[in-house]
Amino acid sequence: MIFLDPITRAPLIGSMLMTLSSALIGVFLLIRKRSLVGEALSHAAYPGVVIAAFFFPQSDALKTFCILGGALFFTLIAMSFMDLLKRFRFHEDAVLTLTLSTFLGVGILIASRLQFTNPLAYVQIGQFLYGQVATMRDFHILLYGTLSAVVVTFVVLFYHPLRLMHFNPSYAKILGMKHRILERSLKLLTALSIVIGIRTVGVVLMSGMLIAPAIAGRSLSHKLSGILWISASVGLLSGFLGNYFSTEITSVHLPIGPMILLCAASFALLALFLSPERGLIVRWFRIFRFNKQRREENILKTLWKNEGACSLQAIQSYLPLPKIVLFLELRALIYQGFIEKRALYQFTPDGRKKAARIVRLHRLWELYLFHQHRVCPEKVHTSADEMEHIITPNVEKRLADLLGNPEKDPHDKPIPRGEV
Amino acid sequence: MYDTCNFFSFFGLFFQRLKLFCVGNLSLVELASDEIQVGILALLGITASLLGSFLILRRMTMLANSLSHTILLGIVIAYLLFGYTLDLKVMGFAALISALLTALLTEGLVKLFRLNEDASIGLVFSTLFALGIVLITTMTRNAHIGSEIIMGNLDAVKLSDLKLTAAVFALNVGALLLLFRGYALTSFDAGFAKQIGISPRIFHYILMVQTALTSIAAFRAVGVVLVLALFVGPPLIARLLTKRLKSMLLLSSLLSVVFAICSVALSRHFYNVYAAPLSTAGLTATLILIGFILSLIPKWRTA
Repeated sequence: MIFLDPITRAPLIGSMLMTLSSALIGVFLLIRKRSLVGEALSHAAYPGVVIAAFFFPQSDALKTFCILGGALFFTLIAMSFMDLLKRFRFHEDAVLTLTLSTFLGVGILIASRLQFTNPLAYVQIGQFLYGQVATMRDFHILLYGTLSAVVVTFVVLFYHPLRLMHFNPSYAKILGMKHRILERSLKLLTALSIVIGIRTVGVVLMSGMLIAPAIAGRSLSHKLSGILWISASVGLLSGFLGNYFSTEITSVHLPIGPMILLCAASFALLALFLSPERGLIVRWFRIFRFNKQRREENILKTLWKNEGACSLQAIQSYLPLPKIVLFLELRALIYQGFIEKRALYQFTPDGRKKAARIVRLHRLWELYLFHQHRVCPEKVHTSADEMEHIITPNVEKRLADLLGNPEKDPHDKPIPRGEV
Repeated sequence: MYDTCNFFSFFGLFFQRLKLFCVGNLSLVELASDEIQVGILALLGITASLLGSFLILRRMTMLANSLSHTILLGIVIAYLLFGYTLDLKVMGFAALISALLTALLTEGLVKLFRLNEDASIGLVFSTLFALGIVLITTMTRNAHIGSEIIMGNLDAVKLSDLKLTAAVFALNVGALLLLFRGYALTSFDAGFAKQIGISPRIFHYILMVQTALTSIAAFRAVGVVLVLALFVGPPLIARLLTKRLKSMLLLSSLLSVVFAICSVALSRHFYNVYAAPLSTAGLTATLILIGFILSLIPKWRTA
């Protein structure tokens, strides 16, 4: 529906194409930890837009071309300006801020002249500050579509060299890759995608469109191809949703450019929270599970020290845990069949085996530190208290082999036998 | 008053009247619009270049850039709570909100999600700015949010704006004078400062709030972009010319006053001689860029 309507079609497809190219390029900026370069470059493009509108106010098509060219030109100038400043040993942070504020200032200066000589053009270039999608025509789709296609084609064709260049630059050099040419073309395409993008979201929000989809991709995937795919889809989807919300919700006026960015940012946040491997929620869950395991194993160890039977109060005197937590953990252990409750809490056979293993790991590790690293016996306990929850059966076997299946730990206490 | 001045005669008249003002023969209400403009620009310039020197030393200028976007949201929130009165209290509140929101969110993203700091800065400010724009357009039912936010409107300033700027100036400079050693120490050697009980974090937040307050004071008159140029331009030029902190602070303040007077004079010149009204804020930014490039030339060979 929204794709067919002649009024909404051009803005929709146009903005989706733009977000696609910026999402792809943003990935490379993010990997290089240079995300804010996009912010400086998008601001620096503005004087180009203004000058183009200043000199060539005639036909619509010609003007679009001139604005594109002007913006591209100034983006490239800003790039060389920043490269130059780096040779004066300024820190990148200050260089970016200086470039973006002064270049935009130059743009504003020229625009203020334009305001009186050509008010219509002044209004039109004002659109580049915050972005203006609604005025796009089919002609713009064609133009911006072609440019986006250039960006996409480049990334697809040179995927392998680009990957090599970013993750293993010295190997790439050995292979004799045209490092500098590739670097320069990537720079050119960064400029291009910024120039394409400022039509939709404006110079102010452009950097967000470079960063947000890339962050979503980065937190959902480890592989460059995966990051690129996800980032591109997030870009396309937020381009679509931004348009969709502002055309469908008519009760309040929602500007398209900011809406697109808000969609992309929400996707990024969602990905950061919910990513199955590295998301915050999964990480919290993992920490919670480990702490729970550690508490349970400590309870079993306490029972072991007390000859396999213990009251709640006695356990609490060993483990500084709130009573309610302790009670719940004991219930969990009973449920798992490691202990049972008679007059006191007691081991089941399974529980005794598990406790023996924990004590074994603890003492093995103490012995290992003492033997292999000459740590004095008084100091090995703390480390062993941590390691007993971490060591896997595999590591356990290798430790035992290394130490020659020992019987006694450095404190002369017996090491329980492992399961065979 | 300055209707017939060109670039050079502007200075003559300006300093003549400045002398009268200092002696006390010219009251505040008699100030001409151009003089108020110079006053605002100079006060903002000094404040910005003092703060900016520390921002540059701490490599926080992109955070200042981030703030210059997020104050929009702070102002919108203050507007929703207090209605439209831009006095010092409301401005302070808006500054506090936007500074804390920006600082905490940016830090939070880095710590919680292990993002790079620059990616986190970019994500936070663009999202908050987009939120600010959406709120403004839905509240005012006006799609055309003015470019005034970005470039300000220096021609519309009144005496009350000058007083407001002076208050912000006094606040900032007072804090700087009072806590100068703290600012300097935490900027140069954060580890040592921490050892002797001066928290670099607290100074980080104080600087953020001060930056936000200055940006808010500036945004109506000169816009956020110019204030950003004032934050980094003069201190960077001063940094090229001197190596000591105190002389860097003095030199950059002096430079920003020179930029203020020159840009208003130049703006007058263009208006009176060529009948071409130009944005004074844009002129100042351009002058700063030119001044910066000129000050690079002596060091050309070493680079």
